[in-house]
Amino acid sequence: MSRVQLLDATTAPLTARRYYQNGDPGPLVGALATVPELLEVSMPFLAAVLGPSALDARTKEIVIVRTSALLRCGYCVDTHSVVALDTGLTIGEVHALRGEGAAVLADQRENALLGWVDAVSGGRGPVGDEVARRLGRYFAEHETVELTLLVGVTMMLNRFCTALDLPTSPEVVRRLAAAGLR
Amino acid sequence: MTAIAGAVADGVLPGRVWLYSNYHCNLVCTYCLTESGPKVDRRELSADRMLEVAQQAAELGFTALGVTGGEPFLQPDMAETLARLGAILPTVGLTNGTLFTGRRLAAAEVLAGSDVALQISLDSADPDVNDEARGPDNFARVVAAIPALVERGVTVRIATTRELGDEADMSRLCELHRGLGVPDSDHVMRPVISRGRAVTTGMGVAAGMNDLPAELTITADGAFWSPFGATVHGGRLDTDLLLTRTTDPLRVPALTLLGLVEGRPAGADSTLNIR
Repeated sequence: MSRVQLLDATTAPLTARRYYQNGDPGPLVGALATVPELLEVSMPFLAAVLGPSALDARTKEIVIVRTSALLRCGYCVDTHSVVALDTGLTIGEVHALRGEGAAVLADQRENALLGWVDAVSGGRGPVGDEVARRLGRYFAEHETVELTLLVGVTMMLNRFCTALDLPTSPEVVRRLAAAGLR
Repeated sequence: MTAIAGAVADGVLPGRVWLYSNYHCNLVCTYCLTESGPKVDRRELSADRMLEVAQQAAELGFTALGVTGGEPFLQPDMAETLARLGAILPTVGLTNGTLFTGRRLAAAEVLAGSDVALQISLDSADPDVNDEARGPDNFARVVAAIPALVERGVTVRIATTRELGDEADMSRLCELHRGLGVPDSDHVMRPVISRGRAVTTGMGVAAGMNDLPAELTITADGAFWSPFGATVHGGRLDTDLLLTRTTDPLRVPALTLLGLVEGRPAGADSTLNIR
């Protein structure tokens, strides 16, 4: 049960209505719509950070699922597990990113990425030299900036969705069950 | 000239800004948009906050104010507050008119000669019909209050909210308000709108964004498209006509409203005569 009312198409404020034109936009929009001026600025921002960009989609979903698992955001882990599968990650890879199975990301680039994600999301100070050096072998500086912002924004969403106890949508639950991820 | 001032001058945007002073009321009307009553959440705007909004409204280029509720005169010193608002912009204050006796009637004298009109609800020339919707003795209290206010120099308008039909009763009502000292030009009528308690009682006509005047409306809970937007149903604030939660600075909801009005296709607004 969500901590706040989730607005639907009949209760959505005027400037939020376009997010409902293609059906239920999900609980994140439903919650943000209660403050429509924040929805107006946050959705384009979130789309820019989480959506298609200079970083490939697989890399981004690895970051999002891993961060969400570390922050224990059930809603975000569930929702982005489905996105990750759609992006081409295997069920085994998603299991591993969720912390539910043995690590299966053999690729050194992706392991360097996981090291960076773990250090950014779990650390308290600057990322250590060795972790940064490993990431720098595979990612340019502008990509490091984008990856770090992606981890940070995911953490923000993790806390938002968890604190407000946003419910995983039935369609996501069905997809996860079919994949043996729930 | 601000964008708002230009839009108001061009007739693109209505000039009036509404303030919901509070949501509680001494009455429990059958068609109340806000489900108001004595025990509801008050959702108050303080006098100082209303004056701040009024000042910003004037600076942005709005040309008039309205105060509504709930029953605004349950707020302490409402007459004095209205007089101060009227010194900033011409103001209409909506009231059920049942509280103007004794101290409150004397206090209303501050409105004499001011740029403030009190708009009092009276729905029928038949006391029983009026009181069925608005509560026992409502008719008697209102017809006593109106001439008492007029005699004290207060400008009084009458607002009639009713389902369609019964022209004979309307004719008698007009005779009545003329006799009470209120001319035809100060008598406004509107249909019952199917929002708030009217939904529960099965009354009124449906009205959406394009049926309602795009009058910026400020409440304790945010800014809305029209005073008919900031309604309550089932104890919850309706959000379908919410503009922004931000009301300070006023230009934030004002520009949001203007953007919506300018994005509306020409001729999309309807003519339910809701005002």
